[in-house]
Amino acid sequence: MSMHRETFWALQRKAAPYLFVAPFVIVFCSFMVYPLLNSIWLAFQFTNGPQSSVFVGFDNFLFMLRDPDFWTALKNTAIFTLFSVFLQLPLSLGLALLLNARWVRGRNFFRMAFFSPHLVGQVFVALLFSLIFLPHYGLLNRALHAVFGVGLDTKWLMNANLVMPALVLTSLWMYVGFNMIYFLAALQAVDRNLYEAAMVDGASRWQQFLHVTVPGIKPIAVFVIIMSTIGSFQLFELPFVLLKGPGPDNSALTIVMYLYNTGFSTGDLGYASAIGWVLVLIILTVSLAQAKVTGLWKKNV
Amino acid sequence: MSRLPFGPAPTLLIVVCVLTAAWLALAPGPDVPPDGVTRLHVLTFAQTHYDAYKVIIPEFEASHPGVHVKLELGDERAVTSRLQSAFWAGTKTPDLVEVEIGAVGMFFRGPLDEIGFTDLTDRVHETGLYDRIVQSRFAPWSSRGRIFGLPHDVHPVMLAYRRDLFEKEGVDPADLDTWDKFVAAGRRMTRDMDGDGIVDQYMIELSDSAHGDLEPLLFQRGGGYFDADGALTMDNAIAVETLAWYVPLVVGPGQIANSLGAGQILTQAMEDGFFLCLLCPDWRSAVIENDMPRLSGKMGLMPLPRAEPGGRGTSTWGGTMVGIPKQSPHPDLAWELALYLYYAPEPFEERFRNTNILPPTRDAWDLPAISEPRAYWGGQRIGDMFVSIADETPPQYTSPYTPLAKTKLGEAVLQCVDYYKHNGEEGFRDFVAQTLKEKADDIRALLERNPFL
Repeated sequence: MSMHRETFWALQRKAAPYLFVAPFVIVFCSFMVYPLLNSIWLAFQFTNGPQSSVFVGFDNFLFMLRDPDFWTALKNTAIFTLFSVFLQLPLSLGLALLLNARWVRGRNFFRMAFFSPHLVGQVFVALLFSLIFLPHYGLLNRALHAVFGVGLDTKWLMNANLVMPALVLTSLWMYVGFNMIYFLAALQAVDRNLYEAAMVDGASRWQQFLHVTVPGIKPIAVFVIIMSTIGSFQLFELPFVLLKGPGPDNSALTIVMYLYNTGFSTGDLGYASAIGWVLVLIILTVSLAQAKVTGLWKKNV
Repeated sequence: MSRLPFGPAPTLLIVVCVLTAAWLALAPGPDVPPDGVTRLHVLTFAQTHYDAYKVIIPEFEASHPGVHVKLELGDERAVTSRLQSAFWAGTKTPDLVEVEIGAVGMFFRGPLDEIGFTDLTDRVHETGLYDRIVQSRFAPWSSRGRIFGLPHDVHPVMLAYRRDLFEKEGVDPADLDTWDKFVAAGRRMTRDMDGDGIVDQYMIELSDSAHGDLEPLLFQRGGGYFDADGALTMDNAIAVETLAWYVPLVVGPGQIANSLGAGQILTQAMEDGFFLCLLCPDWRSAVIENDMPRLSGKMGLMPLPRAEPGGRGTSTWGGTMVGIPKQSPHPDLAWELALYLYYAPEPFEERFRNTNILPPTRDAWDLPAISEPRAYWGGQRIGDMFVSIADETPPQYTSPYTPLAKTKLGEAVLQCVDYYKHNGEEGFRDFVAQTLKEKADDIRALLERNPFL
């Protein structure tokens, strides 16, 4: 009897870890692995929802090459991503440097104030800015009119040329403070002794920044760049709510919005899956390139 | 406790998990009606419809003992996507669902037998409903000759105008019976009122960047996105003619129209006299009453100017259907309820007073509520006015690709506006034709790929 009991407990001891991770594995496989694998199959089908499908080989991918809306979406997404990386992140870093300086009074208040837009979520921000951008009565036009005498009828969200600046402006308000927190954390981790040593060596402020700060925050900076790039390529809610769709002349159509429209408005899950996989490849390529350029994989000497 | 190899905490977690799962699996759902009660679930996206149905449903329940109607209101986009997901997954659906005209095409994408709504064609003909209703209103809810929804409305279009400002300008709306006369008057009345160099009075609200306002004007001229056979028509001669006429109204030296957006900004603009006229289907007249109470007595309705003498004096804008999903376990009862909600004359009068929406059944047009004068509109009998043009309402044919066609028409508007702004009339007509063709070809490429149509 005691022999059986010992075998039971021994077995239980071996099986228990697997049982504990089993719920996660089951859920992960059901809602992540299976849909992912299924979407590969779907990418080679023409579908009417999941009800009927016809195998079309690579036709979805070939059609994508000559689909003007896909290229518009790709162009818009790429432009937004460039602004995110080359405008938003430098601003975040600048703000972090400013709010890391000891001479700035009320630093904690400003840190919270700059971070707070991120707390309210994209939908709220989009609704807020849809009012700010109103022609004739909106806050932005009123301010521009009062300060610079600009006409009140600038249609930020109805003019295809102004939609992207409006989107970038909105995302700046939302994300500059958020990324600033990462840079702040990185800046605070840089050893102060290195600055003192640099000063003793006669390094200027700029040289200190270039040769002490930048190498010190590099791992975090690379992480922020890659995450911002991925986030920008996945842009969806902000333009979807701000413009209630792709905007005039598809000026706010992003790849994910196009994927959503194709899958859930047009019902072509096959083409939507193909778009999704192309997006994966794009993000993967860009992220690998960024990691390579920034020397992420180089061992620190 | 020593027999538990990982201590008591994981064991406790497992027990909690098992108990929770068991409770979820065994507990009755909140939707299960008591024994002997049949529950009909109605889902709508419009607050005005919801309010109207809420008042009249108790009477239906009283006349159908044992039937309980659950009425639910949802956001339009949420209703549509939930319904599509339910159709795709084969899960439970409401017994009656209202669908907006802009979204219905997506349900007609696949083969006829895979459309999630019950085919109502035979019922509509057998009950004589087809002959009672303005027949053009079946068009949006039909695919390949079969009817999948009952029309809620006709939505004829008139023009709402600032009566007080027209009087001040000395313009009689009755004289503006063609678009040529309207535009000529508009060029006089569109101007800078306070001398600051900024135009602050426009004749009409029309968009220079979207399809929404062009659409009813296109329908008025007999154009549209698709014809009855599902062929794309958005680049035909009527479309080219209409767009070439429309663009100079919203841009350039002869501009008489502008647009700022919907909601509060439109209310403010109307109150300020920034716009003198709005395209006004019946439903929008109620929106105006609700959103612009300060304009009571200062507004009027006039027929839509005709494209040419003898042409159509109205158009259509918007629409709603009610459909019975195939998954409904009570299709006959749902059909009865749909007829009651949409076409029963008794509750209709109060609903018309609240929504101004003209029903598509002609026999309801004689009800006293239709002919009541409305103080908001300066005593006009707006019901009679809408009735007088209802039979002229043009059809809107639906395709799974209608939403895309709308987007493409919006792109064409924007590109043509941009061209006209920089080049004026020179080569404009050819540019319009070429742009519309390019946009239409994008859709044709998608149509050719679809093996189900």
